[in-house]
Amino acid sequence: MSKQEMRKRLASLSFSEKIQILEKLRDRSLAFAATGPRKKTTAGGRKKADKGSKE
Amino acid sequence: MAHNDGKDAPVKVTLETINQMQADGVIGKYAIGGAVGATLYLEPAATLDVDIFVTLPAAPDSLLLSLEPIYDYLKARGGTVKDEHIVIGGWPVQFLPPSNDLEREAVTESVATDVEGVTTWVMSAEHLVAIALRTGRSKDHIRILQFIEQKAVDRDELQSILERHGLSSKWLQFESKYLAGTHE
Repeated sequence: MSKQEMRKRLASLSFSEKIQILEKLRDRSLAFAATGPRKKTTAGGRKKADKGSKE
Repeated sequence: MAHNDGKDAPVKVTLETINQMQADGVIGKYAIGGAVGATLYLEPAATLDVDIFVTLPAAPDSLLLSLEPIYDYLKARGGTVKDEHIVIGGWPVQFLPPSNDLEREAVTESVATDVEGVTTWVMSAEHLVAIALRTGRSKDHIRILQFIEQKAVDRDELQSILERHGLSSKWLQFESKYLAGTHE
């Protein structure tokens, strides 16, 4: 199914069905927000690891 | 009001509470606007709150409209205030008294619809587009384009609203910036 078809299909759902999707989207947004931004230690760790491998 | 820890977050609970508040005479007519209102016509898009445009009965001794009766009513039923929102049934709701004729008309001419058996009112697609045009943030422009692309607005009705509320020139600017050459 193309993106356009998917959007049409979603738009044609009943308001109740769309609200249920909204609630799931909101839950997901809140979960992402609660997790916080990705820690930079991974990138830093990789740099250190790279440096270490050269030595 | 049903207490909710936010996990279920049913908008149904939120709407039932608002309908009860209306039945109790705290508010007059209301209409859902913003992203949740647009969801009636478009595919669902992530949003964190519900915008409710609400007419308020003026206090007999004051010409000023106050949201305080709404907050008092909802706090007494478990609602919690969070910044400019009040959380009802897990959803932050922002109550907005109409600030101009366009918003007043949008509330008056709102469309009755149903969410899981609860009757509610949503602004018409054309009013949502006109308000988004007037508000004019990037996300508003994106939403207008969604309405146009999905042919979710009656263009004649939209033109009529835009003319009535002095937004025709703003619409022409929008068209030339975003719709030129798209045959929309």
